[in-house]
Amino acid sequence: MIELVDLSKRYKQTEAVKKVNLFIERGEIVGLLGPNGAGKSTLISMLASLLEPTSGDVRFQKKSVLRNPQPLRKVIGMVPQDIALYEDLTAEENLHFFGRIYRLKGKELKKKTEEVLEQIGLTEHRKDIVKRFSGGMKRRLNIGVAMLHEPELIIMDEPTVGIDPQSRNYILETVKRLNEEKKMTVLYTSHYMEEVEFLCDRIYILDKGNLIASGTKDEIKDIISLERALSIKADRWENEFVTKLKGNPLISRIHVEEKEITVIVPREVNMFSAIIQIAEETGQELNSVNRKDPTLEDVFLHLTGRALRD
Amino acid sequence: MTGILFAKWKTFLRKPWDFVLFTAMSILFAFIIGGSNDMNTLKIPVYADEISDNLDASLEELEGYHFSWLDDEAKLKELVENGKAELGVILRDKDFEIIVGMDSPNVSMVEYALAGIYEKRMEREKLTLAIEDFPKEEQERLSKEWDSLNDNPVFSVQSSTFRSDDAIVYDSNYHFLFGFTLFFVIYTIGYTVLPVLTEKQAGIWDRMILSPARKWEMYVANLANSFLQGYLQIIVIFLVFRYAFGLDFHGKMMETLLLILPYVFTVVALSMFLVSVVKTVQQFNGVLPIVSLSMAMIGGAYWPLEIVESEILLTLSKGNPLTYGMEIVNGVVMYGYPMEELLFPISILLCMGVVFMGMGIHLMERRHI
Ligand SMILES: Nc1ncnc2c1ncn2[C@@H]1O[C@H](COP(=O)(O)OP(=O)(O)OP(=O)(O)O)[C@@H](O)[C@H]1O
Ligand SMILES: [Mg+2]
Repeated sequence: MIELVDLSKRYKQTEAVKKVNLFIERGEIVGLLGPNGAGKSTLISMLASLLEPTSGDVRFQKKSVLRNPQPLRKVIGMVPQDIALYEDLTAEENLHFFGRIYRLKGKELKKKTEEVLEQIGLTEHRKDIVKRFSGGMKRRLNIGVAMLHEPELIIMDEPTVGIDPQSRNYILETVKRLNEEKKMTVLYTSHYMEEVEFLCDRIYILDKGNLIASGTKDEIKDIISLERALSIKADRWENEFVTKLKGNPLISRIHVEEKEITVIVPREVNMFSAIIQIAEETGQELNSVNRKDPTLEDVFLHLTGRALRD
Repeated sequence: MTGILFAKWKTFLRKPWDFVLFTAMSILFAFIIGGSNDMNTLKIPVYADEISDNLDASLEELEGYHFSWLDDEAKLKELVENGKAELGVILRDKDFEIIVGMDSPNVSMVEYALAGIYEKRMEREKLTLAIEDFPKEEQERLSKEWDSLNDNPVFSVQSSTFRSDDAIVYDSNYHFLFGFTLFFVIYTIGYTVLPVLTEKQAGIWDRMILSPARKWEMYVANLANSFLQGYLQIIVIFLVFRYAFGLDFHGKMMETLLLILPYVFTVVALSMFLVSVVKTVQQFNGVLPIVSLSMAMIGGAYWPLEIVESEILLTLSKGNPLTYGMEIVNGVVMYGYPMEELLFPISILLCMGVVFMGMGIHLMERRHI
């Protein structure tokens, strides 16, 4: 349906997107994953014909949209990363406003508004002023506005940042439902692995403007099939323990959190006893050492040596 | 487009506070600062030094001025020095002196009027001297004749000031009213143009770009809203002064409201330009007062430009929309300029407006949010 060819964007100093190739088929949910500043927003702005690329092409149904963006714009719905609403108007007034912009009128406008309010679960708050909404409610309305004209392709730029888990689940379920019931194609951008794992059929991982991996969930996880992730848990860390782990030649990647350390090690080596031995030497108390099923998070760690949310 | 305007209007009705605040400030300032004088007449303290005849009667006849007699010269100087009076007059037997506190067109007008009175007095004295040796009866007859000739001249020279036919004086009430109105409307308009930037940054414009709405509709709707709010503010202020404070605009309120339109347009354009060059709302909050205050000072919103002597300031004032706005409203109401004289400031304003608007929209379109 849509295809990016060697797409690049350079701002004055920064190269935000570097020669990205990507495609989306009708009916898919595609995930675009990357840490802050990876270039996700830049990439999808170009995809949505809102930002001119420095080089490369965006094709919609095999035709370039750079010269003629109208066919794409007709079918696209965009959920921007920031809340793009009139904060002084009510939820309903916002929907009416953007509906009118899309040339919806009278009965049709009313019907669509009701439908969207229902979908995003804001029917009861339709008469409330957006400014007084919670973060989650604003996010939901932000999505709702993009659905009014029933787009075939909806692009969501981190629709769940900074909101409570309940609203987040609600949004994820909504996206899934839209895809299943309305056959909406979705490009979902996030820096949360779980969301992308839950929602998406195919995933692209973007880091510092480069696509570093792409494919189905399983394909991506296979990237680290020769290795294995181990999770070490404890209440606190002895400095010496961490230093020794970092110095161990068999451990290719390590990521330290408050109560959990993830290490990537070769599959064929049994690291359990080695880790326990290091713990004994350094007086480190351990709660557990477990083998982890690889997550996308681990893949990212494997590929970049950094955690996604650093 | 009507959809956008409609949403703006709703937002305005829900949050009219900026508008109300700036309208109230204009009225308040114009009232307090301008209204300290009695509306429509200028009070002038007078002190007479050994004058026997009835000069006061001649003074009373002058329209538009109110002379109050003092019996102490020092007191008069004090009044002027403290700014309680714009100017004071000291009358002597052969000449008069004008003490100027604030230089304004009134000074020359008063001077002109007094010179006329003194001239008549001199002629009368000359006559008295010339007929000194005549018999008493003849003297009386001649001086009576002279008086009646003066009251009903055979041919009269209609003297009028170069400014207008009526005895209109420069009136600081109007000046302050117009000054503060044109000054505060910059804020009202500025803050209604600002959403072009904030909505763009928030991504609302992106949404509209993807929709069937056209770019020009977005600009026109936004700027039309600013224009209407600014204009509404001026109308409200004028109506308040007309009907609550009884200022009659010398019967020219409708003309004034009509001829102020180019100024409103230019301020909208200027705001568009400012919004396009600032990076953030905070920057705009900083820049707008600097621009509006310097415009007000250089353009003569606080004091008449006639008293400004600095060449630099006068040159700067030529590039300032407010200068021309003041010229138009003062010209219409106080000086009764004919239309031809107003065409110049009007066309300058329109030119400035087109240039600012062009640059503003161009820069706005080129920036990445
Ligand atoms: N208008 C701009 N001018 C200059 N640099 C920019 C601009 N927009 C983005 N960048 C830079 O481009 C890079 C990618 O930014 P982008 O917003 O696309 O990342 P992102 O993946 O969306 O990040 P986030 O998760 O924080 O939203 C960043 O280094 C950013 O500083
Ligand atoms: Mg982003």
